[in-house]
Amino acid sequence: MKKINLQFKIKSYYLLLLLILFGLPSAAFGAVLYFSSANNVYHEGDVFIVEARINIQDECINMVEADISFSQDVLEIVDFSKANSILSLWVSSPLISQETATISFAGGIPGGYCGIVPGDLSESNLIGKLVFKVKELSQTSIANVKFLENSRVLLNDGFGTPGKLEFKDASFTLLVGQSEDFKNEWQEQIETDLVPPELFEVEINKNPEMFENKYFIVFFTTDKQTGIDYYEVKEGKGEWIIAQSPYLLKDQNLQSIIKVKAVDQADNQVIIEYTPLRRQLTFLAIFLILCVIIFWWILKNIKKRNIQN
Amino acid sequence: MKKWLNLFLIISVFSVAGLLFYSSLDSTQAQSGISITARIESICGDGVIDGGEECDGSNLGGQTCAGLGLGYTSGTLSCDSCSFDVSGCTTTAPPSVGGGGGGVTIPTKVILSGRAYPGSDVHVLSDGKLTETVKADAEANFKAEIKDITPGVWSFSVWAKDKNNIKSITYTLTFQVNANTITTVSGIFLPSTIGLNKTSLNKGEILNVFGQTIPEIEVKVHVFSTEYIETVVSDNIGVWLLPFDTIVLEDGSHAIKAQSQITPEEKSGFGQILSFYVGEDRGIGDLDLFCLYADLNKDGRVNLIDFSILLYWFGKYNTCADQNRNDVVDLPDFSIMLYHWTG
Repeated sequence: MKKINLQFKIKSYYLLLLLILFGLPSAAFGAVLYFSSANNVYHEGDVFIVEARINIQDECINMVEADISFSQDVLEIVDFSKANSILSLWVSSPLISQETATISFAGGIPGGYCGIVPGDLSESNLIGKLVFKVKELSQTSIANVKFLENSRVLLNDGFGTPGKLEFKDASFTLLVGQSEDFKNEWQEQIETDLVPPELFEVEINKNPEMFENKYFIVFFTTDKQTGIDYYEVKEGKGEWIIAQSPYLLKDQNLQSIIKVKAVDQADNQVIIEYTPLRRQLTFLAIFLILCVIIFWWILKNIKKRNIQN
Repeated sequence: MKKWLNLFLIISVFSVAGLLFYSSLDSTQAQSGISITARIESICGDGVIDGGEECDGSNLGGQTCAGLGLGYTSGTLSCDSCSFDVSGCTTTAPPSVGGGGGGVTIPTKVILSGRAYPGSDVHVLSDGKLTETVKADAEANFKAEIKDITPGVWSFSVWAKDKNNIKSITYTLTFQVNANTITTVSGIFLPSTIGLNKTSLNKGEILNVFGQTIPEIEVKVHVFSTEYIETVVSDNIGVWLLPFDTIVLEDGSHAIKAQSQITPEEKSGFGQILSFYVGEDRGIGDLDLFCLYADLNKDGRVNLIDFSILLYWFGKYNTCADQNRNDVVDLPDFSIMLYHWTG
């Protein structure tokens, strides 16, 4: 009996060593990009959300560049939401292509991201939400969503060093025919979003290195529910036009009121009005001149009356 | 056979462990190594009594007016912003049926607290935008409140400048803010600032390394590529100075960084990494003087304006925006800018 126990112990010992030997190298020493979703099974016509997330192991990052591909034959990409993303500054807004079946984006976190804060019970590691629609199917199919190998993260080290990265793909079973409880997860989120984007500031600037030293404005905001969809700019009595920051002003004399509108995916909007200082000074100058004229006219009248008396 | 298998396994385990240890050492050399000293201490409004809370919503933890020991005999004890509200407590017979509190609307708020540098202005950013500036006390403690915040995932960053105007790193925490809760984050510990009297010197010259941190604590200064670790103690205003003899260093480029340590368990992450050159060929003399620290418009801040300039030159060449000098403005330059972000 003792011998059997000893053999068992030895076997366990080897097993433990083997686990350590082969288990440790696979323990990630970088970041892991992965997907999460509410379900793994969907029906024809369902619209569902796949969340791209990141887990940080031992190094803080500050930039994520991702290329994602999906099964083009059975899935249609409907939208991409930046809501609640840890990325707040986007170098390239999500570029969605149904033709190439890819979604590409790059964004960053000022000051870096070092993982979920101890005590935070929610998963604050969202990169973005991908919204897919299941196409018409001829048979039960498997759809894959995966990060392409050229995706990368950069470390928050002040040198732009590439970080070690692993990928975990996602698979979904797609069933023929519409389900009785037809799902449109994205529509549900849009319908519950009644909150406009965050208030923001518009800054006017000029720089010898940009736009031939002409005036431009910068702006950015976030939307915590469905994410920012687009911005529009209006100068004076001009039309609203779709714009992005930095935006080169048409009125380089700075005499027009500038309005910037941020619109979220649920069409809630916030409009920020900016009156350039030069316009304010012009009005102030006109006001002062008018005051002087009125004062002069009053003085003149008083003098006239005094002379008459 | 068994002996050889044993030997093989042991060598393999030690090799892997050694490799992992080495790689972890390597990662600690990078400033990006994780050292989260901060934690969410409490979430007021989630119905759970966390540390520092007397109650949470209708959860009074079984406490009553009489049980408080404040002389009340009856009445209705309630909860206001996670502290007991005794306005309904009485010293006479109960005017009404007692019961749980609640009914008070808790504002959605975030409280950040921690340590910076004595008397320093601590700047707080929300999603990269400067929202608050508070002053640290003589012990370097600071506390900032961000009010009227929309529920969702937020990144809060903190940075400060020391008495010599040297900027700290930007320390960022990303977490979920829930509606009608007060999220209290404590334990933020800004790493020591670090400065050098010279960036190029002859072998054997003394390099003065200095900075500021919490008063009267240890600061570990790491010099590498060949790693030397020196320990100094900050004075009563947190200032420290290390005269480092460069005789021990090889000719060439070196880097230096510092870490504050209250106790072996309670220490900050590493702060800024600075580089210096030892030897005759002083090639890096003015290397970092142009658009230093990603401040592309040279206004002393790294914010949306600099980001716009970077976007303008993205994919092209610009001496100023090309922070890593690879002849194109690209994502590593963006990463360097995010590291130096001030909002």
